[in-house]
Amino acid sequence: MSKRKIQEAHLPIGECITQVQEILRVRLCHQQLPDRPEGLETQHKHLLELLKRTAVHGESNSVLIVGPRGAGKTMLLKCVLRDLLEEKEAQKNLLQVHLNGLLQTDDRIALKEITRQLHLENVVGDKVFGSFAENLAFLLEALKKGDRSSSRPVLFVLDEFDLFAHHKNQTLLYNLLDVSQSAQAPVAVVGITCRLDVLELLEKRVKSRFSHRQIHLLSNPTFPQYLAQVRTQLSLPADFPDAQFAEDWNASVKTLVEDKSAVDVLQRHFNSSKDFRSMHMLLMLCLSRVSVAKPAVKPADLLEASRLCFSDAKANILHGLSVLELCLIIAMKHLNDVYEGEPFNLQMVHNEFKKFLQRKSNSMYNFEQPVIMKAFEHLQQLELIRPLDSSAARIQREYQLMRLMLDHSQIMEALQKYPQCPTDIKQWAMSAFS
Amino acid sequence: TPRGATPSIPSRSLPARQPANVLEEARTRLHVSSVPESLPCREQEFQDIYSFVESKIVDGTGGCMYISGVPGTGKTATVHEVMRCLQHAADVDEIPPFLFVEINGMKMTDPHQAYVQILQKLTGQKATADHAAALLEKRFSNAAPRKETTVLLVDELDLLWTRKQNVMYNLFDWPTRRHARLVVLTIANTMDLPERIMINRVASRLGLTRMSFQPYSFKQLQQIITSRLNKVKAFEQDALQLVSRKVAALSGDARRCLDICRRATEICEHSAADPSGSGLVGISHVMEALDEMFSSAYITAIKCASLQEQLFLRAVIAEFRRLGLEEATFQQVFVQHQALCRVEGLQPVSVSEGLAVCQRLGACRLLLLEPSRLGVLQRVRLNVSQDDVLFALKAD
Repeated sequence: MSKRKIQEAHLPIGECITQVQEILRVRLCHQQLPDRPEGLETQHKHLLELLKRTAVHGESNSVLIVGPRGAGKTMLLKCVLRDLLEEKEAQKNLLQVHLNGLLQTDDRIALKEITRQLHLENVVGDKVFGSFAENLAFLLEALKKGDRSSSRPVLFVLDEFDLFAHHKNQTLLYNLLDVSQSAQAPVAVVGITCRLDVLELLEKRVKSRFSHRQIHLLSNPTFPQYLAQVRTQLSLPADFPDAQFAEDWNASVKTLVEDKSAVDVLQRHFNSSKDFRSMHMLLMLCLSRVSVAKPAVKPADLLEASRLCFSDAKANILHGLSVLELCLIIAMKHLNDVYEGEPFNLQMVHNEFKKFLQRKSNSMYNFEQPVIMKAFEHLQQLELIRPLDSSAARIQREYQLMRLMLDHSQIMEALQKYPQCPTDIKQWAMSAFS
Repeated sequence: TPRGATPSIPSRSLPARQPANVLEEARTRLHVSSVPESLPCREQEFQDIYSFVESKIVDGTGGCMYISGVPGTGKTATVHEVMRCLQHAADVDEIPPFLFVEINGMKMTDPHQAYVQILQKLTGQKATADHAAALLEKRFSNAAPRKETTVLLVDELDLLWTRKQNVMYNLFDWPTRRHARLVVLTIANTMDLPERIMINRVASRLGLTRMSFQPYSFKQLQQIITSRLNKVKAFEQDALQLVSRKVAALSGDARRCLDICRRATEICEHSAADPSGSGLVGISHVMEALDEMFSSAYITAIKCASLQEQLFLRAVIAEFRRLGLEEATFQQVFVQHQALCRVEGLQPVSVSEGLAVCQRLGACRLLLLEPSRLGVLQRVRLNVSQDDVLFALKAD
């Protein structure tokens, strides 16, 4: 019997890798909820208490969750809702309405969505009947009929709250907040936004009705905490089917976060941004390199993933240009140096290029005007250069003023890495004034 | 909308819990929605509006009144209380019976919906805006025996503005008809609204009966809270005074005052050692609540930003100092950023990464940016003062 158990515990290596991929992918890509939001205990408690009072006591409230992108605002709210709905009293009573500023782009759409999610009486099947004005009147009437002690509390979640502030007259916000401040059906209005100046967007009568409660998600993890977070994110849970494999995997993760080069890479990511989404991105890139042949994350994987994350997009485009296009870019760089960033046109660039050709006296790059023009247009299509004003139709293309959208460091770096770059062009680029 | 549908929110299966201790009781009383029986500190305004409406009802004439004041000074609540008192007087036959109709400019999608709502509230009829306007016109211009006076409250008047101003014109013109018997009370925020947005014939019909609600002073705010609490002993006297002084200095908005007090009771409850025997709300709790609601998060946000983001902000300031302007292109700032990276002994960042850092700061509005398709040419401005940034970066 015990022998069979041991046999069961040892899965084939392929099976283990599949399991690992599955578990970690759900964790990293599907934003799986943690058991407890880390570092956000006070915020969690505040929000939970607030929503509990709405659900249980029927007290109306409004609150804004503010924090930078990727700081876990939605995660916090979902955790709170999960914990709240464990209580029977809240679960039976609370009605939820979820709106998103990116989907409900005006009040008409938002109102239909609210009516649909509340299952009011003017909903038949999935369609909402009546005009915009009737819908608003109906909803307000319904909310007005309710009262604190007898009607079910409604939770309104407004994701991307700042976009709702751009609706006409802010009618929806006014009405939701007005309900939350008057003796009607109990509501809780929870807004989620990343803008710190969101209150300045509100009209003064809307602002006066908002309770000015803000929950800020501005966590400040230290680097050791960040490392610990990386480790927990990559570690396998205790209930992994193959205990031996999980132990080896977790040990390898432990050595990974203690490795000098890996720590350096993580330090660089930490310096760049502290949000969890970019960390998940990095770890996901590492994870995709784990296979049967290489059943652990090595520091080299982390280096490679970090190189992918940090590579410069414009420099990559420059590597793919032809030599002529590169020459034009260099000519533009010289023009920028000489004339201190003044805009240029095709003729000026061509002249600069001709000067180089005369000096070099070999006619290898002596192209016709139409070829130069084509190359110039190609650069414009890649948005490496950009016309000064968009009213382009009137001016001939040769004389249209342009600006270079590249930094000098990018050009020089790209030249160093350009495959088989001719030496004279390199020299031309180096010479400060041609 | 289906005919005969009665709009309602489903009722709860379990009854709502009643307040269990003193603090919860205080919280219920302090909620903005629990309007008290009589509004303290608005006796004079109450009297003025009351006598205006009462005299019109008794005489059977009509008229307009314009009421202004910043949000949260008790305009709508006072008018509602006047109407409640008049209704009571009418019930005991002191004055002739009347109808009360209320519309709110913010609660309708279009100014012309005002006609629809008035008609529906007067007669229960449903009609389109044009039809409703015609019906109301007929109702107010024709003589009818035993017609009751109608009192119409128009809240958020400025939202009823249209280009031809015909909605406002009609609302103010009906009371001047001989048989209309209509009293219109209008409420808005700004005092000079009639002069600013109304054309002459509309402003002249609105007339000169005006009243403005002043922001509450700290004594009045204190009195409001005390009367709401109504002998529930939950606050220290000094704490109340602090809240009312702070709010009065800032805006004089009673809603803000009540919200802060409510938050302070929560903080008191959390900080108490055992939840049942929690004491009075003291100065420290109120201070914490005030901090939470009035302080801006910019400085904390800068402190919590990542190292590169902080360096970028320093680069922005360095570039502003160099240029002597309050605006720079990303390219210029980036040069400074690279230099700062070298000074700090960090690996220099690539342009893409620098742009990403800049965008992150722009998304939470520490920086104001042009559209990101401009790439390195986009102009950068600070949304906070330079001193704030320097303070936040130096503090640690």
